[in-house]
Amino acid sequence: MKYTVLIPFLFLIPVIIFQMTIIPLLSFNGIGPDLILILLVYYTIRNSQMYGTIIGFIFGGICDLVFGTILGSMMIAKTLSGFIAGYFSTENKRESYLTPLNFSMIIFLVGIIDNSVFSFFSSFDLSENFISALLTSTIISSIYSSFISILFIIAIPKRRRFE
Amino acid sequence: MSKFVYHFWQNFKEYLVLIFLIILSLYLITLDTSPKTQKLRAMVFTSFSIVNSIVSNFIGTENLKEENERLRLTNAELMLQLSKLRKDALLIDELKNSLSLKHTSKIDLISSRIISRFSNNNQETLTINAGSKNGVEIGMPVISDKGLVGIVFSVSDEFSILKTLRNNSLNLTVKSERTGEQGILKWKSNSLRIINVPKTYQIKKGDRIVTSELSSIVPVVVPVGAAYSIENVETGIFNEIVIVPFVDYNKIEYVFVIPIVASKEIRNLEINLLKKFK
Repeated sequence: MKYTVLIPFLFLIPVIIFQMTIIPLLSFNGIGPDLILILLVYYTIRNSQMYGTIIGFIFGGICDLVFGTILGSMMIAKTLSGFIAGYFSTENKRESYLTPLNFSMIIFLVGIIDNSVFSFFSSFDLSENFISALLTSTIISSIYSSFISILFIIAIPKRRRFE
Repeated sequence: MSKFVYHFWQNFKEYLVLIFLIILSLYLITLDTSPKTQKLRAMVFTSFSIVNSIVSNFIGTENLKEENERLRLTNAELMLQLSKLRKDALLIDELKNSLSLKHTSKIDLISSRIISRFSNNNQETLTINAGSKNGVEIGMPVISDKGLVGIVFSVSDEFSILKTLRNNSLNLTVKSERTGEQGILKWKSNSLRIINVPKTYQIKKGDRIVTSELSSIVPVVVPVGAAYSIENVETGIFNEIVIVPFVDYNKIEYVFVIPIVASKEIRNLEINLLKKFK
């Protein structure tokens, strides 16, 4: 068994702590970047679609328990996110997807799906205007995440990014 | 046959795993309220909360000077209010004695600090450093010096998670302090609103909104916010009143748990948050 498959879980713990303590200071109106999604997408692109789907499920489950959201809601959102991010893990294009601009665009796309699915399963309200809810939370949060993901991918040395 | 299954798995394994995990997640959603899940949740968030508590302690000291200054100002303001209230209390005591009324009992609040938070558009949860060892139970209301913050919905020995009012699964009975008119408070379209308000209600902009004694969640009167605007719902006979909460959820650091859990019998009659989590 390759121990490298467990590395994302080692990073998950500090990332969750960071998400719960530091990110609220950087968020406005409860909207902030999703570092767990960035971690998930990064490791999915580096590995495979199947791997992304499974770690998405586990990440989501842990987050549901820690954040106090409905158990299963973030699981579905992160499982789907991992699955979709898996489409960008093709071996011959991996390097180009892990460049700052492309990576941030992937985060934006996956972020929209993640936020929409999570909102749907955790707090769906028929009386809400779906478009305004989509604009206010989903898109703004995804833009924020994609911006932070640029900093994240730049912070990783190129050699390690593509090894 | 086995060859077919093998090829099928090889070709569609990603989709099969996805479907399996989604079905499993959907099944877990139905288990969200079970005691086993609550136990597991308490265990997991306790282990994270210990570290969060250390980190937030470190961050907290950075703002200590500013916080101290603000508290001194609040103290001074409260001192002025207190001297006035003392005078009024003496008068009330006198009147109560003359009418032979019982004194209302004092509530001993459980103080705690927010150590971490999670929020998105429709859900906000806060983790506080007080748990069942301090007397916190599921369903207890949580307040700050400004007003109502939320309701406790998961408790471990040392820590608790509470849902703030910025949560669209929480429906709370509130009333206007001036007119006494009751309504249901709900987080909707990114704001706190009293929904289904008859057009005949007299609530005006600026009216203080407090929790109603009729509420099965918060049985004591606690300030919630002020009426900000009245929105006409074009369809139907109801209005919606937008409320600006007194509590600034983004800046709040210290909260107090009111050690009261409303009667289960009353609670079971109402459709509200606790039914989901208890």
